[in-house]
Amino acid sequence: MRAKDHPAMRRYVRRFVPITFAYVASIALATFLVADNAPAGVLTIGLALLPGLAVLGWLWAMARLLVELDDEYLRMLEVRKMLVATGLTLAITSVWGILELFSPGIPRMPVFFVFPMWCVGLAIGQLVNRFGFGDAGDCG
Amino acid sequence: MKNRLKVLRAERDWTQGDLADALGISRQSVNAIETGKYDPSLPLAFRIADLFGVPIEAIFMRD
Repeated sequence: MRAKDHPAMRRYVRRFVPITFAYVASIALATFLVADNAPAGVLTIGLALLPGLAVLGWLWAMARLLVELDDEYLRMLEVRKMLVATGLTLAITSVWGILELFSPGIPRMPVFFVFPMWCVGLAIGQLVNRFGFGDAGDCG
Repeated sequence: MKNRLKVLRAERDWTQGDLADALGISRQSVNAIETGKYDPSLPLAFRIADLFGVPIEAIFMRD
């Protein structure tokens, strides 16, 4: 069995794709319907929360992958990717946060970027697996 | 940790895929164990030993 044929991987992709569509659609909807500087109302906050739900869906899908992936080596590759992503995200946001604290001239980093940053970290983790350990896995 | 997995597999004329199917793991995992990139957990090591009908220490050795 190839890694990408593992049932847990297939289930992960089947979950990830519709959640991604939901995220893109909800971001587009919120962008279209919520005016810049709109006051915080029920509709505004409700629309803004929809992409957040999709992000929670992504996190759930990734957690399920780790739970359902019964191949310990493939699971280790996935966990290592997530550790690299978490380490990079913590390093960047922590150092930037301290800079913001003591240097008022430093632009504020929107919290929105934390999750995309972590996802970039996953891609870097994939590279670490491939070039640091000689195995990238097929987990995407 | 060194191992004799490749030798034991070759003696039975099994491919990595055959061994992976017999153990219920990916071929990639078998390759990682054979090449020493990954040391299996104790439960998986026992499963490998049971499959070949030998003690764990006949497959896995200290460096």
